[in-house]
Amino acid sequence: MELTFSEVTKSFGHLNVIDHFNTTIKTGEIVALLGPSGCGKSTLLHMLAGLQTPSTGTLTAGGKRIEKPSPRRTLVFQEHALYPWLTLAGNVALALEFQNTPKQTAFAEAQKWLAKVELSGFEHYYPHQVSGGMRQRCALARAFIARPEVLLLDEPFGALDALTRMTLQSVLKDLIEEERPTVVLVTHDVDEALYLADRVLVFSNRPATVLREIELGHMPKTHDLSAFADIRRDVLNKLGIDTDTTQAHAEDTGEAV
Amino acid sequence: MSNSQAMGVATKRAYVVAIAVILFFWQVAAWFLPDFLMPDVHTAVLRLWEELNSAEFYEGLGNSMTRLGAGYGAALFFGILLGLVGGTINVVRSPLKAAIIILQSIPSIAWVPLFLILMGFGNLPIIVVVAIGAFFPTALSVMNATESVEKVHISAARVMGASKAQMLKRVYFPAVTPELITGAQLAFGNAWRALISAEMIVGFSAGLGKSLAYSGEIADMTGVMTNILVIAILAAVIDQVILERIKHRLLRYQYL
Repeated sequence: MELTFSEVTKSFGHLNVIDHFNTTIKTGEIVALLGPSGCGKSTLLHMLAGLQTPSTGTLTAGGKRIEKPSPRRTLVFQEHALYPWLTLAGNVALALEFQNTPKQTAFAEAQKWLAKVELSGFEHYYPHQVSGGMRQRCALARAFIARPEVLLLDEPFGALDALTRMTLQSVLKDLIEEERPTVVLVTHDVDEALYLADRVLVFSNRPATVLREIELGHMPKTHDLSAFADIRRDVLNKLGIDTDTTQAHAEDTGEAV
Repeated sequence: MSNSQAMGVATKRAYVVAIAVILFFWQVAAWFLPDFLMPDVHTAVLRLWEELNSAEFYEGLGNSMTRLGAGYGAALFFGILLGLVGGTINVVRSPLKAAIIILQSIPSIAWVPLFLILMGFGNLPIIVVVAIGAFFPTALSVMNATESVEKVHISAARVMGASKAQMLKRVYFPAVTPELITGAQLAFGNAWRALISAEMIVGFSAGLGKSLAYSGEIADMTGVMTNILVIAILAAVIDQVILERIKHRLLRYQYL
């Protein structure tokens, strides 16, 4: 499903968060919106989800104006979005139950999707009984079970430790390759953007302006990001981070290898 | 699991100690006062045993429980409904909350004369007074809980395509359940007090309150203390056994 932003502006009172933003995201494309926290990239994502409306300008999905949320464009939140009163299976099944799928079918399907994110055996656990990484696996299963055409991810692994994050990025990558939704990923993790995305938009601080647009479509997808070393250094510089290799920041480029 | 069981044992021990202390003070009073003013604990317990074998007692108990069930049930239903409406619709919230705060400061028993004349001598005025006592804490707790439902839980349901009815049933209702139960326990206390006092005043057909008032009128102090004993035991059983059990069942996920 093709997504477009045309002349999108969003302000909260006097605070101008997004100023005349334009871009088109092609069907099946994986785009990462990368930038410092609070730069307005989450607002862009929430507008795509239909949870927020632009102050001026229009957003479209599949040629139609986005006015309200739709299960065809689902959103994965950073954390705490699972319902504490439902088991993991209950949480995943709920996405189908909201589409009026009978309970039994929904739970059978939920079981399948929990297996895909390697949570078999944890169906009857409640969210507070499992780790943060497992909760986000469950959140991914809940997003994918409804077969969305557009998958929106709002810093989905932002609250996880580095190793868990990398495992989950692989899980997500496999699911995306299998289901082929159009993906918009908001992140402040440069490596996550480089690993998952076909195209990265690097944002400045408020109002969010694109500092750089990087096409990565042809690059191989692996956690060994050494092929991206130059791009990575450039992106970090654009974000105002010192990458002078003669200084103490040398390990900054080395850690991904 | 073992943690909550351990807590249960500690709570039980505390109750045993509390009951022993209360009965001790009663007995001390009975030693110092003549029998016709303050009966011994065991005299009252013997009377209670007699009562438990009389049909009259069960008639009163049945009447009181019916009134409680009707009034408390209605209060829970409307309290939850209005609490959810008030919590989700911004225009309604502040005026409704203000109205509740004003009205709940009126002791529910103060409504008795009005409803007695309005509805006539019978069960209905008692039921309404019980409902008024229980309605406010229920509505307030549900409204406050509804306001503070996590935004992300609402957003997540919206992106999953939940309808308004599904949102209410599957997100708001379970989210407010913990506060609702606390409110419902508070509401039970109010309902119970309203029931007994209304029955004492109205005195319509048999009931726990009427039985207590009658014992007082004929200066049967053993009867008075027995009735108080019954009222205390019933309240404790309903609150600490029945409501607590329902709470543990509904909030099972929190106790795992």
